Amino acid sequence: MSKPDDSKGNVPGRTLLSQNVVFGIALLLALSAAASFLVPGFVSYTNIRSMLLLAAFLGIASLGQTQCALLGGIDMSIPYVIGSSNILLASLLNWGVPSFPACLIVLAGGVVVGILNGLLSFRLQGQALIVTFGLGLAIVGGSQIVTSIGSVYAGTVLGAVPSWLRGMSSVAGTTFGLPIPPIAIVWIALAIVVVTVMSKTPFGRSFYAVGGNRQAASRVLISEFRIWVIAYAISGAMSAITGMALLGFSGGGFVGVGEPYLFTTVAAVVIGGTSLLGGWGGYGSTIVGTLVLTILTSLLVGLGLSYAMQQAVFGLLIVPIVALYTRSPSLRDQI
Amino acid sequence: MAAPLILAALAVTPIVLAGRGGVDLSVGPLLGFINVTLVKWLVENDYASPIMVIAYVVAAGVLYQIVIAAIIIYVRVAPIIVTLSGYLFLSGINLVVLDRPSGVAPDWMLDWGSGISILSPVFYGLIIMIGFWIFFSRTVFYQQIVLTGANERMAFANGVNIAGARFGAHIVAGVFTAAAALAYTALIGSGDPTQGNTYTLSAITALVLGGTSLAGGTGGGLGSILGAINIYLITYVLSTYNFGTVSGFVTQLSTGAILVLSLLVNSLMNRRQ
Repeated sequence: MSKPDDSKGNVPGRTLLSQNVVFGIALLLALSAAASFLVPGFVSYTNIRSMLLLAAFLGIASLGQTQCALLGGIDMSIPYVIGSSNILLASLLNWGVPSFPACLIVLAGGVVVGILNGLLSFRLQGQALIVTFGLGLAIVGGSQIVTSIGSVYAGTVLGAVPSWLRGMSSVAGTTFGLPIPPIAIVWIALAIVVVTVMSKTPFGRSFYAVGGNRQAASRVLISEFRIWVIAYAISGAMSAITGMALLGFSGGGFVGVGEPYLFTTVAAVVIGGTSLLGGWGGYGSTIVGTLVLTILTSLLVGLGLSYAMQQAVFGLLIVPIVALYTRSPSLRDQI
Repeated sequence: MAAPLILAALAVTPIVLAGRGGVDLSVGPLLGFINVTLVKWLVENDYASPIMVIAYVVAAGVLYQIVIAAIIIYVRVAPIIVTLSGYLFLSGINLVVLDRPSGVAPDWMLDWGSGISILSPVFYGLIIMIGFWIFFSRTVFYQQIVLTGANERMAFANGVNIAGARFGAHIVAGVFTAAAALAYTALIGSGDPTQGNTYTLSAITALVLGGTSLAGGTGGGLGSILGAINIYLITYVLSTYNFGTVSGFVTQLSTGAILVLSLLVNSLMNRRQ
């Protein structure tokens, strides 16, 4: 029950933001310390590499979710777009499409779904949750119908995955001789670009403007519509990339690969400290959230908890973490 | 067969009506939790008399909702995050309590779900609960919930006990979730730790189809009942066609498309007014 939050809650300024990041990093360090103390082999070379890989998948998938959250939106179609692009890419490769154009087709598909999400939910912003969920469900149903034509295995697509894609997201992958999986490099590059664009360019600042105060944003000639659709398009593209990277990781198309990302992307955004109501936060915070989640998972697995128990512990931890820094002001203060 | 869905949709309705982004994502896992604990803790230890069972399920549903409501109201964390945590927590716990579908429903409940005639006990139970809803929606208290959802500041300024209205909405939701869990247990006749989760999204879909706005303040229980029946009928009709291996996907595709379309129609009609 921290009192200072109450007075600052409705005027989120720079101090509060940096407070969140400091808090997130402290949490990260505490978790790492606990894990390296409790779990033998936590600081081993292979474990760090595999954590980096898993963090990269989650980090890329949460990028779009962050952009939507900055506007006060939410994208629930992420797991379905991930699953769809995963099986679509596998099918395209099976049908003999060369791997590079196939990836481009899937990426374009992700962008189109994202734009659709944006267009459909723009007039229904309060209900973005259910619009994007419905669209995602339709997309995943459609893509499963397409991919299972002429196949007896519904929902899974078997086939050869090109070796470069495997190398992209394999634990043992290397980039130019460095012992880091290439997808992690892709993630870091994306992160640098996004954080720079969001903080340094007028385009990036306009996300904060729209999320913070729509009326003020339109007065300075920022098109709310354009920004809203772009945010969802980014989310669609990132989900498609995650889906394709996961195909390289697992080696076979399976529509369910996206399922865990339904709630973890939201959790990464929220734990990082980006408000779901929009206006403040950013991808830098989400990266911290992603790392917290990944290390926490690794810690729980290392302690020998079953998947079910891990979920229960996650559920128990999210509320106190969020309560520490994103409480809304009480109604008395809002009037 | 549609009874659990109707009751689950009714359970979410007061929470959504009370506004401020209120939604209960954990209704499905809570239904599952009551189902598995009923089968595992009560039936296996011979506490399965009707009074015990009903007392237990209602207490479980209401207690859970009171905790959730207290966190939302006093800790002031967004409802979607609180109930999302509840979803994760309960769906984990359900698997710990019962790791795979097993167990049996209480003896006196076994012949409920056989579905030989429409006039089964589940149906009567549904009628009683709908009756309860109609009574509830006539009360001043219900109006206070709607008022809170429509314009919280105005309601507060006019002396509505906002926190009380929210608490009440959650308690009513707990009662309806308990009823949904009973109907569900009767229908499947056993315990299932994972299937309950699917009720979250179909209940919210039913609610939206029924015209209740997720922004709060407009809508009602009757719409949710009709929405739930619609969803049930859509799945039923689709299952009579033979799509072979892809039938599950056709259902997914059409559910998603219907959901988006109904939202669009809803918003177009609202704009015309």
